[in-house]
Amino acid sequence: MRSYQTNLIYQQIRFNNGLTWGYAALWILLSIQFQPLGFKPVILGIGILNLFISLVHQKLLQTVKKDDFHVEINLSSIKVSSLILMASLLVGNIFAFISGITTFKKTLTTGLIYSIYMVLVDVLVIAVTALNLFKPFVSNTFLPLFYLMIVILLFHSFVLAFGQKWFEWKPTTQKITLFILALTGLTGNILVFFVAASFYQNNKPDHMGKRQTSIREKLIKNQAALLGLLFIAFLIMLAVTCNWTFSYSFAVQNDYSSILQTPSLRYPFGTDNYGRDVFTRIVYGTQISLSVGLIATAIPLVVGGILGAVSGFYGRKTDNVIMRLLDVLYAIPGMLLAITIIASFGASTTNLIIALSLGSIPSYARTMRANVMQVSNLEYIESARALGQTNSRIISRHVIPNAIAPMIVRSTLTIGTAVISTSSLSYLGLGVEAHIPEWGNILRIGSQYLETNPYLAIYPGLAIILLVLSFNFLGDGIRDATDPKLN
Amino acid sequence: MHTKSNWLQKVSQSYKEASQQPFIALGLCLLSFPFQLLVLIRYLLKSQPFEKRTVEHEIKSEFEESGAATSLKDKLRAQEKRKVAFLKQQSSQAQMEKKGNELYRVGYQKEIQERMEAYYKESNREQPSFLNETAHWLEQPLGFVLSLLLGFPMYFLLLVVSIPTLRYIVNRLVMMVFVIIGVTIIVFTLLYLSPSDSATNILGEQATPEQIVNFNAVHGLDDPYLTQLGRTIKGIFTFDLGNAFEGNERVVTTIMRRFPVTLQLTLFALILSIAVAFPAGIYAAVKANTTFDHLFMLIALIGISIPSFWQGLIFILTFSINLGWLPATYNADNIASLIMPAVVLGTGLMASVARMTRSSTLEVINEDYILTARAKGLSNRRVILRHAVPNALIPIVTIIGLQFGGMLGGSSVTEKVFNINGVGSYIVDKQFVPDIPSVMGGVVYIAIILSIVNVFIDLLYSFIDPRIRSRIKSGR
Repeated sequence: MRSYQTNLIYQQIRFNNGLTWGYAALWILLSIQFQPLGFKPVILGIGILNLFISLVHQKLLQTVKKDDFHVEINLSSIKVSSLILMASLLVGNIFAFISGITTFKKTLTTGLIYSIYMVLVDVLVIAVTALNLFKPFVSNTFLPLFYLMIVILLFHSFVLAFGQKWFEWKPTTQKITLFILALTGLTGNILVFFVAASFYQNNKPDHMGKRQTSIREKLIKNQAALLGLLFIAFLIMLAVTCNWTFSYSFAVQNDYSSILQTPSLRYPFGTDNYGRDVFTRIVYGTQISLSVGLIATAIPLVVGGILGAVSGFYGRKTDNVIMRLLDVLYAIPGMLLAITIIASFGASTTNLIIALSLGSIPSYARTMRANVMQVSNLEYIESARALGQTNSRIISRHVIPNAIAPMIVRSTLTIGTAVISTSSLSYLGLGVEAHIPEWGNILRIGSQYLETNPYLAIYPGLAIILLVLSFNFLGDGIRDATDPKLN
Repeated sequence: MHTKSNWLQKVSQSYKEASQQPFIALGLCLLSFPFQLLVLIRYLLKSQPFEKRTVEHEIKSEFEESGAATSLKDKLRAQEKRKVAFLKQQSSQAQMEKKGNELYRVGYQKEIQERMEAYYKESNREQPSFLNETAHWLEQPLGFVLSLLLGFPMYFLLLVVSIPTLRYIVNRLVMMVFVIIGVTIIVFTLLYLSPSDSATNILGEQATPEQIVNFNAVHGLDDPYLTQLGRTIKGIFTFDLGNAFEGNERVVTTIMRRFPVTLQLTLFALILSIAVAFPAGIYAAVKANTTFDHLFMLIALIGISIPSFWQGLIFILTFSINLGWLPATYNADNIASLIMPAVVLGTGLMASVARMTRSSTLEVINEDYILTARAKGLSNRRVILRHAVPNALIPIVTIIGLQFGGMLGGSSVTEKVFNINGVGSYIVDKQFVPDIPSVMGGVVYIAIILSIVNVFIDLLYSFIDPRIRSRIKSGR
């Protein structure tokens, strides 16, 4: 019989194994040159290094797979291979890095797993920011912030390395560490808060032996959801820090001396027809896509949630009136409603947000209504009523907290839809104003040069897919975590 | 002879049942007004109401004099007092008094009603009422013929109301009409509130005031809001929305010319995606947690996450520009040019149907009756296809219905990418002007198509799910 920890490690490594091989294959594929046929030596070298790492990873998987493997056993071969895998971060293989740390650390607490991803976010953002060094000039605030990010990375690595000894620390040290940790969350690295919450929870006297019941604790078993969370945190941190580390002029100022350049280290994704750096544009586009996606989800979540809760709780006439009105709104496809609103009030980011929010209110209201109707028939609502509690108190204290889980899942999934709708409308010229670097706008320019410079259309599209995919992974993960059937 | 009287009793019985609901009773009365008038005159002449009132008066006085009324009043008051005391509510004496009286009034009415019913039951008579009188008439052949002559429209309503399935369908259709009117109101109001002035947009800045006045008069833009709204709703149902602002073409004619392309595209995409997703989803569920399952679900998730316009661009780049297999733009004569748009439009549906098929089949596969089927010795194939899949269909049909709306909306993007002259691209083109009647016509007619599809799907439920069928039959 395997222990819980052993099983967790085994699952972690099995999940990462395929991804590691895929990552190595990707580098090798990228190194192939078609005309004339040949290899790019540097990229091929990285690919071969990755292949070697994948071999080590495969070997590790074989060891862990054996029935007599236990985390408590100290094997020098595992030590060596986990050190090699940890070093693989240098060639960008984050999957092997995760496996390396998990086998090295052996006891996987919630805090530790989130710490790994927290450090990875820092590393990724620093790596992307460092690409600015190849630019002819950088913004004034680039260097100080770059150093600050490295300091934060060191601090986070320290937490990752010694966080497990948390119990042995003095209470004041614990408090100061937590405070600094939360402060570093200001960079936009949302995983910091997950780590801080886990450590804080660990600190409570009776946490040992308690069942892990919160979404945060259950999510660690779902690696795909964690990878989604990693990418989302990466984009949020990038969106926050790019204001100081990236120079906005590359994204918006025309430079006719360098139009339609192919990708290079100076312009990683090439330049468009006005000589603007597509990479910087995509980085700044993150801000728009994320904020529009989040706001256009938060508004219908609140409005639809309230309407659905009222309708489901009071039933009868209230229900009938609200739901029939929403049925009308529901009959218009979201895209067409958005086009109508924009036709009437003009294309702007605010109108876009209103249009997208309005279209998704009915589906939120329906979800909430169904949940509330289910919950309000349960015994504890009846007993609350028998105790003479007012309706508003029953709704806010008993009904909503027990009916909110499907809404969280739904909102995570619809952020992705909102991002797609935003870029689709921008692509049609109906979304965000044309001069703002937004992923759909970048793609629209790219679509005009599809035959000659296809990379202009490919990279922003990949960014959209990755973001939406991450939200979908995370949403699926949260759904599984909140589904009582799976627990 | 005997069967005939039975048949008439049935009619009278269903009339009585239908009249239990106030709205339908009112409808029945209005539709057979002359007949009802005749019955009313006869009813009053028989002076039955007066008799009823006398009986009621007698029962009331008996109830009060026997002391039962006072004891009921005391009982209800004490009940109210205990409730207030238990819940520790702050309530004054007067408030409690008022509440107690209210309770008493309701209780009194109920008691009298019960006693009346008991009285008539004892004397083996029906309570004289207008409804019973009408039902009595309908039982007689003469009365039935009279009602047929004077109030035949009533029977259409009666037919619809008494057959549950028909009633359900008509109910859904009536709701659909209301939804369409609501959609028209919303879309019209949104476009009416537009801060920009259509006349200046179309005629340009140099337009003279006379030209603008003339333009507004031609398109009826100087009318008040309600007049315009009424005209629009009428126009939607009579297929006459007037001329487009730009170009001298009738809006509905243009839309109807473009509709077949959009419908052809969406149907093609729908069939294609179901044909791919359904078997694949079932196979993934049967082979759950294998490499095929994981890989396929990853692909499905990517299919949900991919923006259709980007997918379209990549398809054009690969299959048209690099490989040269398929034409990049749509051409009505070449069916091959429809392949790429249909795949692009259907991807979202394909992915969600595949995921839904997998999860709902997985859920069903673990049920007890599947175990029973296996224990009976049925082949695996038969267990899955005959026992598991039909029971997993409901959520799949739901998701198809939901996604169909997204597909009709999303067709505007796909049509723009592949340069198809459908309704979607028409709406997008016209909104740049903005040409109000054209945009409105396009949006509302697409919403109508969607409503019809939704009604169709609701009816489909009752075919595939016996539980829903029986719920409709029992009128719930």
